[in-house]
Amino acid sequence: MSMRYIFTGNSNKPKNNNTNNNNSPNNKGEEFSITIEKDLAKNIETIKTMLGNPSDLVVRETKVGSTETKCAILYISGITNSDLVNNNILKAVQSSKIQSSQNKDQSNNNSNQSSNDQKNNQSNKEQSNNSQSSDNQTSSNKSMNQGTNNSQLNNDSQSQNSQSNNNNQSQNSQSGNEQSNNSQSNSTLLDQILTEVIAITDSKKVKTLDELSFALLSGNSIFILDGEQTTLIMDTVGGEKRSIDEPQSESVIRGSRVGFVENINTNLSLIRKEIKDPNLRFDIHEIGRRSKQKLAVCYVAGIVNEDILDEVNRRLKTIDIDFAPDSGVVEQWIEDSFLSPFPQILDTERPDRLTYNILQGKIGILVDGSPFGLITPITLGDALLSIEDYNQRWLLGSLLRFLRYISAFIAVFLPAIYVALIAYHPGMIPSQLTFSIAATRENVPFPAIVEVLLMAVTFEILQEAGIRMPKAIGATIGIVGGIVIGEVAVSAGIVGPATVIVTSLTGIATFTIPNNSLAMAVRVIRYALLIGASILGLYGIILVFILLAIHVVNLKSMGIPYSSPFAPYFLGDLKNLLIRAPITTLTKRPPYLKTDDIKKINDGGQSSK
Amino acid sequence: MKPTLTHGFISDRDIMITVTTNIIGITTLTFPRIIAEDTSAADGWVPILIGGCIACFLAWLIAKIASSFPNQSFFNFTSYLLSKPIAVIISVLFILHFILVSSYQVREVSVLAHQYLFDKTPIQVISLSFLLVVVYGVAGSRAGIFRLIVLFYPTVIVGLLLLTLLPIGLFKLENLLPIFQTDFEGYLRASYSGVHVFLGFSIILFYIEVVKEPKNTPKMAIKGILIAVIFSLFLFLVCVGTFGNATTSNLFFPSFDLSRAVEIPGGFFERFDVIVFVIWTMILFTTTLISFDLVILLMMMLFKKANKMKLIYFLSPLVFLLSSLPVNYIELTTIGRFLSNSMLFLIILITILLGITYKVKGGNQN
Repeated sequence: MSMRYIFTGNSNKPKNNNTNNNNSPNNKGEEFSITIEKDLAKNIETIKTMLGNPSDLVVRETKVGSTETKCAILYISGITNSDLVNNNILKAVQSSKIQSSQNKDQSNNNSNQSSNDQKNNQSNKEQSNNSQSSDNQTSSNKSMNQGTNNSQLNNDSQSQNSQSNNNNQSQNSQSGNEQSNNSQSNSTLLDQILTEVIAITDSKKVKTLDELSFALLSGNSIFILDGEQTTLIMDTVGGEKRSIDEPQSESVIRGSRVGFVENINTNLSLIRKEIKDPNLRFDIHEIGRRSKQKLAVCYVAGIVNEDILDEVNRRLKTIDIDFAPDSGVVEQWIEDSFLSPFPQILDTERPDRLTYNILQGKIGILVDGSPFGLITPITLGDALLSIEDYNQRWLLGSLLRFLRYISAFIAVFLPAIYVALIAYHPGMIPSQLTFSIAATRENVPFPAIVEVLLMAVTFEILQEAGIRMPKAIGATIGIVGGIVIGEVAVSAGIVGPATVIVTSLTGIATFTIPNNSLAMAVRVIRYALLIGASILGLYGIILVFILLAIHVVNLKSMGIPYSSPFAPYFLGDLKNLLIRAPITTLTKRPPYLKTDDIKKINDGGQSSK
Repeated sequence: MKPTLTHGFISDRDIMITVTTNIIGITTLTFPRIIAEDTSAADGWVPILIGGCIACFLAWLIAKIASSFPNQSFFNFTSYLLSKPIAVIISVLFILHFILVSSYQVREVSVLAHQYLFDKTPIQVISLSFLLVVVYGVAGSRAGIFRLIVLFYPTVIVGLLLLTLLPIGLFKLENLLPIFQTDFEGYLRASYSGVHVFLGFSIILFYIEVVKEPKNTPKMAIKGILIAVIFSLFLFLVCVGTFGNATTSNLFFPSFDLSRAVEIPGGFFERFDVIVFVIWTMILFTTTLISFDLVILLMMMLFKKANKMKLIYFLSPLVFLLSSLPVNYIELTTIGRFLSNSMLFLIILITILLGITYKVKGGNQN
């Protein structure tokens, strides 16, 4: 069963297409297929053995309508919507008015008889059912004329819903045809059940045990007909899922409150809701040999650069793992340089951000089971932007961006500069400040670097503890961190007050970085700079900075230089990065992406004359 | 996205930026001293202009010839024009020159850091750490090197503008006077040094290979030189205006000392030279990176099968050893002069050789 599927091609149905691509003919060669036997009991036994006879596998054996043909409905409880199975499958099958269309080896007589039986069933039921349409009445009259009343299987006809009524209605005309041609095979019976009885939109036939087991384990229901090697799978995927919530890691003051959830179909529908463009495409892949998670590549055809898209799809196809617990695994697998501390693929919890980037010509990736969507290709600047910048007025948005850049600078450089100034170049800061810092550090036995490292590591511990701690005792962290470590460490003479200021300012500045992955990278880089500063002072900081610059200019995201639009230099795009120019001036998509459609739908307010 | 083509990944503008950066990086630190030595008061502006014009002319000539061989390596078109053995000899000369330039630059940074930042740290530690960063840069892609240059360019320009504008308060007009008191011989010698200042344009000979559309390269090279000329002119005038001619000609790094004289308002940084030091390190770094990369580029042309990393491993100790050889400032100055002369010799040699054969054989046919 351990085969992986590679699904290509576009799916325009974001919902319920878990299994749609299973029949893709391209993949037939790769599949591990065991044909299904004709014997129903044997089939059920096979499935049970294959799954290790699980307790959550529900097997319901019954008969089709009034016929003697046996059938079974299988599903796994918990991941399946059992209401759907009960009402739209089981009830529909049991009460269907299908004439007994038997195998060819059965006698015509027999089949005739059972078809009559079925007709009678129907008329009987319809009589007992008070709410009937006029069409139904005429058909029931017709069948009344044909034979005697036979009250089989009519116990639950009282509660029959209108949907199965409609089914019966269409069966009537069908069964009329069958009478003229009595030699019907079971495969047409299966077709008939599929087209007329099953009240589930997304249902189809499968022939291999592999497909069947995948469908079963994805939450679909299986319908097996005795003497038939083809089975039906019906989308009854259900189970518990989280409702849409506010994004936890990317809150905004002004902007949508919607965040992604773990269910990919919900996530895709969130994007679909925002872009009602027929060119919006979802390329479906499957990752995880055992988990068989769905992965969707979202883009707008006609905007996206095809070369980049091909590269993304190519890389996604190379993924070969058991299970991707989060989109982070996918991100690490397909990014250009896995050794780099910088995120080359942006993660976001916000559908509006993903949508905005898709419309910029970038590519979004959603993975089933992860509330984090991925955006690629990105540049270094992208991780410092927040979608809220566009929701505020441009001056405010620009200032906020500027503030964020300053705090990013502080988050990276401040501790290193502090160490360099204190340890190597005290002459560079005003002498009064030098004296007062020296006075407070008088009792501190450690050199500046040890002092800063002590505080920085403590801060990291506090931060990490704050994440892992139960929320109820989260307040303790504030007390322990703020008062005990800050205040007492100073009065105990372990660190100087200036160090506490530097560490806390650095820590708080780190939180202004809108993207968590970049904030993590900044935390790592800070230590590299600290080491540089402790060895060679300011000169060391410059060298480490140049090292980082070399690393960044050599870094690529899906083949796009990570240092764009600074280098290669695109003046036009800087107005959307350094500042947030007024919306009406942002008429072009990022030039470094080389999108098919360069101009945004934004005429700069020209048409409003 | 498909990997970019091996040829032609930088634009005209990148070449202009590279030329400016390279010129500023190689000589700007010391050139006010060299020019001021031979001229009186502020007369140095004449030789700078003359030197700039000569450099522009040479650059135009070289770029014209080189750009008629689009996307062909230096070795390819020199072998075509001058026959292979001569091309090999010229390449070897350039390799030796650029190895020396790399080590000179490494030493210059160490001297600068040693003199102004920490006098106790051994100079070898400073130069070794700098060289290691350069090696890391060279080990990356060549496109990355150009991106780095472009990335640093705004910082460099803004920093140098600050450097020339901030000392305006200390500027004394009488330092510039009297004008035109230099004798003819002085002008001649200073103009000769003036040409040296702008020889950084030689890189277009080798980088023309990676320019996307080399048609505009001559124009862009001249633009790049002109930016450097204008900037050098201001810097020289400010230097002489601030320090006076006599002081300028006796300071080892007059351009850097300029920043030490300045006090910036606000009182947060006691010394402005810290910020300028950051910028100087960046400039010198890019220049060293370029010359080291040119060594690799030329060696890869000669030894087609050579492994880039092995070449780097072989060359870095050599550069480091050479950079430690000069004992004092006087020797360093002599080496600086020697390098300027050798560069000028090489440039003139190749211009004449290529110019004549180009006229005879015509442009690129294949």
